[in-house]
Amino acid sequence: MTGEALPVEPGQPVAPEDQARAEFYALLARLWYAAPDAALLQSIAASGDLPAEGAQTALAEAWRQLKAAAAAADPEAVRDEYDALFIGTGKAAVTLYASGYLVETGRERVLVALRDELPALGLERVGATHEPEDHFAALLEIMRHLVVSGADDAALQRERKFFTRYVLRAYNPLTNEVVASARADFYKFVARFTKAFCDVEASSLEML
Amino acid sequence: MENSKTKRSRRTFLLAVGAGSAATVAAIGAKTVPQTGDARAKQEPGGKGYQLTEHIRNYYRTTLV
Repeated sequence: MTGEALPVEPGQPVAPEDQARAEFYALLARLWYAAPDAALLQSIAASGDLPAEGAQTALAEAWRQLKAAAAAADPEAVRDEYDALFIGTGKAAVTLYASGYLVETGRERVLVALRDELPALGLERVGATHEPEDHFAALLEIMRHLVVSGADDAALQRERKFFTRYVLRAYNPLTNEVVASARADFYKFVARFTKAFCDVEASSLEML
Repeated sequence: MENSKTKRSRRTFLLAVGAGSAATVAAIGAKTVPQTGDARAKQEPGGKGYQLTEHIRNYYRTTLV
């Protein structure tokens, strides 16, 4: 890239709470990108609880349930579930493409806007890929990238802007559809945790 | 604007809801890269050599080299 746009620069060290957010985004991006294998299910099941204070326990509770679901899950069954929910030839039960939920702007316009924006964030599509850029996992991965790419005010504003434009309006309908789907089992818990985490993100980014 | 007070309250909020403690999920994060053999570690600005998950390696690459 030649470019006038070079906003993503090494900034201050990432704060512990932002590192934590990045880890959540990484895990969620992985879970929405493909079904977890046995090792990942085990890691989730064996992980610790999240500390939570007072009445704000939604995230910690969703995490606890996801851990329990991971402990009980059979990797092969989860793979079948993922395929049935999200892949299905021509009739996936639930679409993972965010623009499918941003109906008022229309899929094409969302994709065009996103494609315009990625270079400014220092990202570009790799030629061989077949997936449109608005796959939910990709949006979460971009958020992770933005979180670890800087901690100054400008970086936080970039996070807020990207989250608000692409993740905010998609995560509720997407996770609701998964929870409501008769085919969902393990992914119901992934969806609930995703919703709880995105709720926290929405609230904390609003504070900026 | 984003003064230090705002940053503090945001941080307090993240810690209070459990989203601000890195220890729990960090251990998993290291293992979330699909075992494809050719996944490469990549140094990211501000990060600590995070393993890029496979899909973003496929979809995008950072253009700031």
